[in-house]
Amino acid sequence: MSDDAPVADAPVADGPVGRVVATERKPNTSHEFHFWTALDAAVGIGTIVRVVGSHPVAGQVPVVYGVVVEGFSYTDLQTPLHDVLGHDGSPASAMHAATERTEIRLYTAAVLRRIPEEPLQPVPLGAVHLAGDADVAIALRMDGYLQDGAHRGIPIGIYRAGGLESPVYLDADFLLGPEAAHLNISGVSGLATKTSAVEWLLASIFAHFPAERGSVAAVCFNVKGPDLCFLDQAATNLDAADRALYERLGVPARPFANVRYFAPYTTRGYALNTLRSHSELAHTVTPLTWGLGEVLDFASVLLDKQDVDAKSDALIDFITDRVVDREFSDPILETTHRVRSFADLADWFGDLLRGMESRNSEIWRTHHVATVRKVRNRLSNISTRCAGLVTDSGQVSDLPFGRFEDRAVYVIDVALLDDDAQDLVFARVVSKLREYLERRDLGVKHVIVFVDELNKYAPSDGPETSVRKMLLDISERGRYLGLVLFAAQQFRSQVHRRVVGNAGTALFGRMDPDELATPGYAVLSPAMRTRLSTLEKGQLMVRHPHFAQPVFVRFPRPAVLSGREGAERFPPAVESTLDVAVTRALRALDPAVTLPWVQDAIALHDEADVLRARRITEQTRPADVRAFFRAQFRPIIPATPPTPRGAPPPLRTAPDDDPYAF
Amino acid sequence: MNASFQSARRAVGRLTGSTGSDGTASPTLDMIGARADAPRLVAPTTIEGPPALARRRVPGAPTIGFAAFLDGTQESRVLEYVGVVPVVHGTVAAVIRARHERRLRTHGDGPLVERAVYLPVDLLPHLATIDDWTVVDTGPVAGDVAHPMALLERAVHAVQERREQLERRLAEAWCAGAADHPGALWIDGGLAKSAHVAGATAAVGVVKSHHTLHADAAGVAVIAALDAGERTTVLRVTSRQRTPVLSWYLRVRPPGGRGPLWGLVRVEVADTGDDVTARADTVSRWILAESSPLARPDPRWDTLTYGVRDCEEFLRAVS
Repeated sequence: MSDDAPVADAPVADGPVGRVVATERKPNTSHEFHFWTALDAAVGIGTIVRVVGSHPVAGQVPVVYGVVVEGFSYTDLQTPLHDVLGHDGSPASAMHAATERTEIRLYTAAVLRRIPEEPLQPVPLGAVHLAGDADVAIALRMDGYLQDGAHRGIPIGIYRAGGLESPVYLDADFLLGPEAAHLNISGVSGLATKTSAVEWLLASIFAHFPAERGSVAAVCFNVKGPDLCFLDQAATNLDAADRALYERLGVPARPFANVRYFAPYTTRGYALNTLRSHSELAHTVTPLTWGLGEVLDFASVLLDKQDVDAKSDALIDFITDRVVDREFSDPILETTHRVRSFADLADWFGDLLRGMESRNSEIWRTHHVATVRKVRNRLSNISTRCAGLVTDSGQVSDLPFGRFEDRAVYVIDVALLDDDAQDLVFARVVSKLREYLERRDLGVKHVIVFVDELNKYAPSDGPETSVRKMLLDISERGRYLGLVLFAAQQFRSQVHRRVVGNAGTALFGRMDPDELATPGYAVLSPAMRTRLSTLEKGQLMVRHPHFAQPVFVRFPRPAVLSGREGAERFPPAVESTLDVAVTRALRALDPAVTLPWVQDAIALHDEADVLRARRITEQTRPADVRAFFRAQFRPIIPATPPTPRGAPPPLRTAPDDDPYAF
Repeated sequence: MNASFQSARRAVGRLTGSTGSDGTASPTLDMIGARADAPRLVAPTTIEGPPALARRRVPGAPTIGFAAFLDGTQESRVLEYVGVVPVVHGTVAAVIRARHERRLRTHGDGPLVERAVYLPVDLLPHLATIDDWTVVDTGPVAGDVAHPMALLERAVHAVQERREQLERRLAEAWCAGAADHPGALWIDGGLAKSAHVAGATAAVGVVKSHHTLHADAAGVAVIAALDAGERTTVLRVTSRQRTPVLSWYLRVRPPGGRGPLWGLVRVEVADTGDDVTARADTVSRWILAESSPLARPDPRWDTLTYGVRDCEEFLRAVS
């Protein structure tokens, strides 16, 4: 948090807005109290109030802070029938009644905090005031991390009530660790502002996360549509109110300055498989391609547990440990192998099976021939199933593990991949992040991993998958490493409860009423649930370890181009022909590259060779792009005309008297 | 049994040496002698139309004319008996609830609330002063008035008198500032106890009880036949102790076979010498406009207007 954004000293609303009441039927307790207000008081569900007791306790007048969780309104009418009688059954005549019935606004508030904390007594009778900035800071226990020298406040939004606006901060130690960590956000699609909230919060974190607590970067998996494809483009829809919120919360209203995009190729391999493929932006997307070495450790993600048994697992482990990336020879093999790619692996399998067949052997190094065949089938089709991401040739283009930059966002666009490939990307990237963070050489101290559609990756039911195990591991142990999970889903109840349970901070956008009817929301009052089901865009309910009760906040529109707007402004390119795709790729490295030049350069080569040459060129980024690109092809021997041969020798004639000659 | 009663009970107990009661509340006394005398008819003096009481339909639609409502409450309970002499705790209160934007609020400086101890000082001279309590002497005792029931009645009447005093104070203050008020004051009960109020146009008395009917036998039939929205012709109500006022009966709700007096009120206004018929029709329209909302669940809802019930509820809350 910046130095100039501590607890604000905005004036507290003058005068009480209500009075605490207690009856035998509806008594106040140490955690809940009731108060009434004037009919026009600016109090509603979610309003934070301050109660000042009437009498001192142990020499100190108690002050209690609460948040309104329920509201009641009633009149002195005993039964609705009396109203009907009073107006002769005519609603229209009721409008003309000289007097309106006495009506009450009675609210129930849940205690957020009390000062002094001890003795813990029922809330005293007293005047009720709207909470101002300082009250909100105390009520939400933000004073501990907003005080001078703490610098741990991360603005999440503005709390508004009665014309007052108070910033609400999260504690960085409880958002990114080590005290607690992880964030979970729920809400219905389209209305819930899940993506917007995360974009806003990342901007807030990048602006306020204290430098003395280390560096921070974000890895975002774009799992649907173009949601996260334009984080580096400025929003066009920020209005004055949004800018005022940015100003109030001390966050620059501008897009992310350092965003790196990664996407695998399409199945054909001509272009990257991303919606950020517009010609103006395509060059900013880095290919994401892996070879055998990168994938084999995560083969289990793609293999069906019901299909791949312990015997298969043992062979895969053997291959991983003893075969891949090293010289491997065996009497049964015709030659020494060095397996670096799926193509090499296919050769190795072929050699092995031929050797076993020629020796009529069913067992090789304890592995049965049937197991060998099965593993060959399962592994060899990975590159087919994940075409575009996994290459046969072993070409690798990866995230810059070890060179992550502070306040950078790394977006991995997997939206257009099928489920298997998405799982593979997720499993490997998260594993590598964890591996590097354990070694403390990722390049940053904290990494936020944002995953949407969490109910797909960590469902509450269904079979145990590698991805779910990985998410559980992050949520339970990630905070010690600096690996922080920001996850979103439509239905929180359908996500594994250990994943959501370990999220120290929870945000709720507009919720589906059916979802709110599930047991997980039983702790919320009916009024809070109703408000949750009617939240506008830009509003959130926030739960945070320091907040005794959830609070409602408003946040500004993200300062980045939304996915929908981005897709309209930068429509994705249609996958072109091979020569055009190569031209686009090379022109990003050398503007002098032309289509005719490319057509000439690749005219005589196979498609696979052309794509390989392009990948190598893109990865190497040589000074002389054209020369380097041409050099990647095997030389082709020019055709020479055949040498004319001399006349054939004459046939010998047969003797006339030789009857057998013919 | 509120704190005031308990405080008074302790204060009296200290002076009388009483060990106090079992802590239960004694019953209220306010119904004692409320209507011990027989219902009666008083020959009317009609000043509108023919000499005999007649029915008239109130012309025009109900219109809002009242700006406020006044009512008072009283509660008296026996603190203890000193010998056969009751010592009574009495609470009286009165309030004007004025209407602003269709909602009722307390008018002026708020309600008047008084708590006092009522006793015959002649019989209990050692209780003439009780701590900080106001002691109201219920009067000298002579002959068989020393009967405990008679003493109780005198105490209750004293409490009632105090309540009427408070109501008069508020009503007179309202009438004195009538020019500042946007409408008339509805007074629950008659006007005539205050000459000042009985002569003012800013107040209207609405009487709900009909122990005394200002009608002869034929007039009673006329009153009983009134339909909702009908009134009798105007008569003048006079007595030796009261200022003459104009009055008429008005049926505010259709009786529907509930009885001849159901939904019937008697209206009192000052005799200002203006057009009596016009004045009666105007005020009747004001009263009919107050027929909703209903004052239920109060059993008197047929004649109790919501504004007066609001006064009672308010005083119950604060007194």
